[in-house]
This record gives sequence, structure tokens and C-alpha cells, in this order.
Amino acid sequence: MFKKCLLFVLIVSVVTGMSFAVTTVNFMNFSSAGDNTQYLEEMKNVFEEQNPDIKIKIETVGFGDYFTKLMTLIAGNNPPDAFELNYENFYTYAKKGVLLDLAQPMEKVGFDESNINEMALKAFQADGKQYGLPFSFSNVILIYNKDLFDQAGAQYPTLDWTWQDELEAAKKIRELDPMTFGIYQPIQFWEFYKTVRQNGGSLLNDDKTEFTLNRKENIETLQFMVDRVQKYNVMPNDAQLAGMGDWDLFISGRLGMVVTGIWALPTFIKDCDFNWDIQVEPGNIAKSTHFFSNGVVISKDAKNKEEAFKWINFLSSSREVAKIRIDAGWELPAVTYQDILDDYISQTPPENREAVFESLNYLVTPPVIENIGEMTDIINRYLEEARYGEKTPEEALDAAQKELEEKIDLK
Amino acid sequence: MVTLNKRRKALDIMFFLLPSLFGLAVFQMLPFGYSFFLSLTDWDVLSKMNFLGLDNYIEILKSTEFWKVLGNTLYFIILYIPLILLVSLGLASLLNVKVPGRKIFRVVFYIPVLTSWVAAALLWRWLLSPYYGPINEILQLFGLNGPSWLYDKHWAMPGIVFASLWKDMGYFGLIFLSALQSIDKTYYEAAKMDGASGIKNFFNITLPLISPTMFFVIIISIINSFQLFPQVMIMTQGGPYGSTQVMVERIYTYAFDYYKMGYATAFSWILFVFIFVATIIQLKLQKKWVHYEG
Amino acid sequence: MRGRKVVIRRVVFYVVVAVLAVFALLPFFWMLSTSLKETKALTTIPIQWLPEKPSFQSYLDLFKIFPFARSIFNSLFISVVGTVISVLSASMAAFVFGKIDFRGREILFGFFLATMMIPGNLLMIPNYLILRELNLLDSYTGVLLPSFFNAFGTFLLRQNIKSLPDSYLEAAFMDGASRIKVFFKVILPLIKPALTTVTVLTFMGNWNAYLWPLIVLTSKEKMTLTVGLSLLNGQHASDYNMLMAGAIISIIPMIVVYAFSQKHIEVGFNVGGLK
Repeated sequence: MFKKCLLFVLIVSVVTGMSFAVTTVNFMNFSSAGDNTQYLEEMKNVFEEQNPDIKIKIETVGFGDYFTKLMTLIAGNNPPDAFELNYENFYTYAKKGVLLDLAQPMEKVGFDESNINEMALKAFQADGKQYGLPFSFSNVILIYNKDLFDQAGAQYPTLDWTWQDELEAAKKIRELDPMTFGIYQPIQFWEFYKTVRQNGGSLLNDDKTEFTLNRKENIETLQFMVDRVQKYNVMPNDAQLAGMGDWDLFISGRLGMVVTGIWALPTFIKDCDFNWDIQVEPGNIAKSTHFFSNGVVISKDAKNKEEAFKWINFLSSSREVAKIRIDAGWELPAVTYQDILDDYISQTPPENREAVFESLNYLVTPPVIENIGEMTDIINRYLEEARYGEKTPEEALDAAQKELEEKIDLK
Repeated sequence: MVTLNKRRKALDIMFFLLPSLFGLAVFQMLPFGYSFFLSLTDWDVLSKMNFLGLDNYIEILKSTEFWKVLGNTLYFIILYIPLILLVSLGLASLLNVKVPGRKIFRVVFYIPVLTSWVAAALLWRWLLSPYYGPINEILQLFGLNGPSWLYDKHWAMPGIVFASLWKDMGYFGLIFLSALQSIDKTYYEAAKMDGASGIKNFFNITLPLISPTMFFVIIISIINSFQLFPQVMIMTQGGPYGSTQVMVERIYTYAFDYYKMGYATAFSWILFVFIFVATIIQLKLQKKWVHYEG
Repeated sequence: MRGRKVVIRRVVFYVVVAVLAVFALLPFFWMLSTSLKETKALTTIPIQWLPEKPSFQSYLDLFKIFPFARSIFNSLFISVVGTVISVLSASMAAFVFGKIDFRGREILFGFFLATMMIPGNLLMIPNYLILRELNLLDSYTGVLLPSFFNAFGTFLLRQNIKSLPDSYLEAAFMDGASRIKVFFKVILPLIKPALTTVTVLTFMGNWNAYLWPLIVLTSKEKMTLTVGLSLLNGQHASDYNMLMAGAIISIIPMIVVYAFSQKHIEVGFNVGGLK
């Protein structure tokens, strides 16, 4: 009798266990580190409510060490099921065969691409296959201190502005005070690649088979950027900055304009106690703005491929996630839901939030290649020499071209 | 040496060495051996691993970059080692004096060791700032024009040396302090009876008796200096013009930014050889000046 | 006359030390002040030494970012256990290297030294693979196992033990004591200052350990303090005031350990009648 009861209980528990089988998806990320942890938790809760048979185990690692840990996990054959990758590294991971081609899960689970920003979605393709979905995106704009502009009697930046207009305004602001500067735009790879495009130049040729560092247009661009520091000193050199952050220089009211990402907005909103606004970056021959995006991907050998896909699809394209992001001010969802985006635009400060979306029209993706780490380091090294005045822009870019051709094979 | 019966001795030795040997074998020798194997490949952590033989080593030794970072590291060592010995021994002597409040001072001077490099870098960038910093201002008082320190390719490394001295003096000071404290007071009493004075005591008694510790400090600081890293990353990021770029930074970059783990491992092995050779030289020289009691 | 000389010397001494002390404490003071500032321009030059409106908000915010209290406990646990294992193991080995001769002793000691020359993170990935084979990932045991080997501590203590006069040990053995007894009853008390130093430094090393716990531990509940604080370094910017608040809290146990250890370093032992 007792044995029969036991058997019965056993069978019942196995059967109920089977029908409520819960799969766990391990998800590793960096962008929620710090203040945004709670929002990712919120997203997780909504997802688990909608999908009671899936549990998400979130692991967050600070950006500085994220790749060290990720690579160690992959090397140890212990990768997370799904994880986050920034756009710059995505291509390398895709090419090295670490990521799952999403075609199959998309078919099995269903996928509506109309909800996702087309540019962002394309960014996470490699060799024509979809290897990831965009999680967030952000871009770079010109942020300016209205009060300083007023004091200097300069006109606010408009959509028609060119490099010359910007330089004139910077000069006026520089004259206000020896400790006040007109503009700050870092002279490094991530700014340089797009600024050359504003002048009709580019760092590689169209199909990325050749480096074109020392094109005339590039040299002119670097000259312009370097003149700001050395010739006109509207931008502080490294010694003048003395380790102070450019954001802090702006926040303390000593910088007229700063070219930085929209991720600065929450900080500026909190800390700036003067009037400020944003504008699309001025170009020279053309406008050209930066595109940053963090995506979510699945490991090639993940065990719960479909469940993992449901999760990343949710993160990428659902209305709920988009709304949580906008309300939290946590970067932008790469979605096409106009009502949610309008919500973002209507928030102030800053007044001119349309500039964020206007900038999307002039979007230029970074020239991502498999050896992107080496390439950016080489270019940065020569940009530094130009910045310090050790080499002229022409010498610096010629040297960069030479070293890049020697060291990196762009087959 | 102490003697007891042989079998007992062998067992005792095993007993005392077992815990360390376990850790040594499993977590040092085994991975070390494996890492040598890795250095002979082109492993990129994520996908491929092909055998390359000694190609990585040859490429490294042929590159200008390797010799440049080696030179930078040696520049640091030549400046740092004598100064850290001087400063930390001096500090320890100061803290050894029996005055009220010395316990507080000892804690105070240890605080730089605990301070994060972010904070320390901020202080030193300000101190060495050519525009705002007090060091150049003080030099002005003596009629000297201070250099641009961290923004000058010849003076950046000395700047890093100063910051490192500040941060490490409490660490080695602590080690020297415990050595000074261990000196048997009877030595000094005997010397006093013979009429010897302070300075003479220092050279005839103190130095020889703490020479084992001094040897230790030299070895450790050389080993640490070859692996110089955090302060460079935070204060100068390897600049200006790579004048403060050091070996560990290169290793880390090749491994985790360029996905060239095989190359990075070979680099580490070469670094290891340099440290090994430097240490062997020290070990050979120790017979000339290190004095063990007993 | 002589009294005045002493007073002047004392005053000079204190002045020198005071000046050096200020110099030593400046960055720490900046850390403290930054941790009490609200988020505003935190890296301004010229340095702003005093916060405008001091507040403990950053300290409170730390609890929101990650399980802060739990991480302190984890760090304490790992540091204490790791230090005990390490120091014991190192002193035992140091005894052998310092006073018990056997064939191959110096070569083995050479191996110990050699490991200190291995660049830090070379062994990280292979060790991770080893832990994976032993199924010890995401466990405290996995984090602690390497502590059995402490070349630094072994070296320092060996220098000390080697300096002890053989006559002590001869005397103890003559009384029929076993080596183990000699170790615990004679050697350890004699090297108290060095032992204390090694304990303090090892504790500090374990407390500040970063990459190894980061790689090995994945569960949020097991996270250590240093790993948790690294979460404050974002992709684009870092929250300096919270970082400094966390760093200050992180420093406190180490100061406590150090201050507490001071009385063991100052040993007035006078090994009399030995000449």
C-alpha cells in the first residue's frame, strides 16, 4: 500500500515537473552596470511574466573587464547563453564563429523586423547573416553652453552651421577668460573616422579592402582639429586639461561646446546649472554623425537557443523594454514605435531633442574590421603625435598609412 | 644545521612543504607549462589554434616595440630601485624612533599604499602639472624651469617614479620596520659600552643585520617593477609617444584587445626570462653583502 | 643644555614627520571629500578640496547598485580564510628553507622565487581551465585553493628564519622536542614581527584581489567588494563619488588590520645572554 502511494506521488511529481519545466537562460551584460541595474531587472520581470517557463539569470560585469571575463568564459567552453556586445567588437566575434546565426530561431519563434530600426538591425549582420539584434543605440551630438554663447555674443549653433561657424564661435568664447575654452572634441579614432567624412574623406575605401589614411581630405581634417589646439587654442591641450574630464570642464561652465554622446545627457541634466542645448554636429562638405550601438547575441553552442532568442528579441524589439528605456533615460531603444520615440523628444531639457533623431539622417557606421583593436591603436598613436605637434598632420597620416599597410591584412 | 634521524627528517620536510607544494604544482607549474605551449600557437581565444613553433618569439624580438617597452621599463627600474630603498629605509628609521604618537604615524604612512591609484593619480597629476602644480613652482624659487613632466617624453617616466615612490614607501617601510624591530638590542648596548656613536652604529650594526631584508626588498621591487602597470595606465596611458608604455600593458592589449593570446603569452614568457635573469644576478651577488646570523 | 637639544630635535622631528604626513594623506583626503560630494564635476582642476554640500548619499547609493553588504562579507570571508591558509603554509615552508637542509633545497626554493617572476595574468586562463576540470567554478573553494602557495610570504619569512641563531633550535631539540613542536613553540614566536607583516600584506593582497574572483565567481551573492565596485566603471563614464565611497569603505578593514597588528610588530624582546 505504502509503496503504491509512493509510486503515485513519484509519477505525479514527474508529470507536473515536466509540464512546468523551466529553462534557464544565462545572460551576461555590461550596460546595466551602475544605475541601470534596476531597469534591466524590470525588463526581466516583465519577460518572465510573459514567459513563465523561462527564467533569466543575469550577470553584470563592468565594461572595463567585461571582455576579459567573456573571453575567459569562452576559452573555458563555458560561455553565457546570451550576452551583450558593443558594435565595435561584434564583427570580430561573428567572424570567429562564436555567435549563433539567428536565422533558425527567427523562423521557429517568429520575428517581426518592422519594429526594429533598419540601420541598427543591419549593423548586426556579418556576411549577409543576422548574428545579433540591437539592444540600444546612441549617437554623438554637439552640446553647447547657452550662457557662455550669450556672454560672448555668439550665435547659437544651427543646422546650417559649418566648421568655420563653429570655429568663429569657439574663438569668441575663448576670449572670455583664460580658463575658459571654446570647444572640446577628442582627437582620437572614434571622432576622427567620422569627422573626415564631414570633409568628404574616409579612412578606408568603400569595400574596406584598402586603407586610405593619408588622403588629402583626411589631412585637411586633422589639420583643422589640431589647429583648434595649437593654432587657436580654443581647445585645451593635454597639459592644460591636466587630467580633468571634458564633461567636468563643461559642467563647471568653462567650456562653450563639447562633442560627446547622448549618454552624457542624464549627467548634464542633473549637474549643469546653466542653460544649455544640443545640435546636430556641423559638417564641412557634408554632415556626418556617429553611430554607437550595443547588441545582444546568442552563443553558437547555447543549449536553450529558442528561449534565448525569445529573450533577446524581447530586449530588442518589445514596446515594454522601449518604454522602460525612455522613461529611465537609459540610452535609446532601436525601435520604430513612433509614439514612444515622440515621448523621448518631448522631454526637456534639452529643448532640441529632435537633434538626436535628426542626426540619424547623417549616420556613418565606424569602419569595423576583424583587427579593429590594432587599427584603432595604431591610428590613435599617430593622432597623438599630431596632437602634440611632434608630427604635422600630413606626416602623421603618412606614417599611419604605412604602418597599417604593414601590420594589417585586409583580405 | 640541526640534525635528527633521517627518516623522521624526510617525513617532517614533506609535512612542512606539502601545502605549498600542492599550490605550486597545481596552480603554478601546471598552468605555467600549459602557457608555454600556448605561446607556441596563434590562439585567439575565440576560435583557432595553430602550432607556430617559435614564430611568436622571433616576431617579438624583432619588433621595435618590444625593445622600446623594455627600455621604458628599465628606465623606471634604474630610477626607482635605489630611491625606494633610500626612502623606505629612511621612513622606517623615522618611524622606529620611540616618540609618542609613532603608532599613529605608522598608520598614516601606510595609507598611500591603501589609496586607490585613481586618487593618487589625481594628486600627482596636479603636483606635476606644468600649469597649476606646486612642484614646478617650488623649482622656480630655485631659479629652475621645471619640465612638462607627464607631458614630456623624457620626464614622464620620472614623474611615474615619484608617484610610485610615494605609494610604495609605506609598503616597504613596513617590511623594513619589522626588520629594524627584530634587531637584538644587546648589539647596540654592547656598542654603546665601546663608545660607538649613532651613525657608526647604523653602518656597522643595523645595515648588516637587516641585509637579508634589504635583499628581499631589492628582489621584490625589481620583480614588481618589471610588471609595472596600474599607475601608467591611469596617469599617462602609455604616453606621451609611448614613453611610458610598459610590457604588461602590451601583454594585456595583445591578449584581450587584439585577440592574440599566443603572442601575448610568448611576450609574458620573454618578460619572465628577463626577470629571472635579473634575479639570478641578485642571488649571485648576495653572497658578497648579505649577512645571515646563525 | 642637553635638555634643550633634545627638545629642538624632537620639534624638528615632529615637523618633518608632520609635513610628510600631510603629503601622504592628501589623496586619501581627496577620496574622502569626493565620496561626500554630490555628482557634479568631480575631476575639476584646480582641485576642489572641500565638498560644497557634504552628504552621505553616495554611500547609501552603493547599496542600490549591488548587494554591497553581502559583498563585504564575502570579501572578509575570502580574505580571512585565504590569509590564514597562506601564512600558515608559507611559514611552514619557510622553516624548511631556512633551517632544515636537504638535497635540492636551494633548487626548490629557486622554483618558489621563480613563480614570483611570472607576470601576473599569464596564468589566469589556464588556471580557469583547471578549476573547470575540477568543477570548482563559481565556488569559494575555487577562489581559495591557490592561496596554499605564497611565494612572497615564504621568501620573507625564510629570510627571517635563516637569521635565527641555530643555537636556539639545537637547544630545543636537545630537550627532545619534535620538529613540529619546535616550529610552533619556538620559531613562530621568534619571528612575530615578520609573521605579522606577512599577515598584513597577505590580507591586503587577498582583500584587493580582483581579476581572479571576477573570473571564477559568477553568482551575484558571491561577488566580492572589489568586483562589485568595478561595476561603477561604465562604458562611457564612471561615478567617481560612489567609487570613492566604495573605496573608502574598502580601506577600513585594512586600516583596522594594520593598526591592530602594530603592537605585534613592536617587540621589545631582548634575547639576553646569548653572546
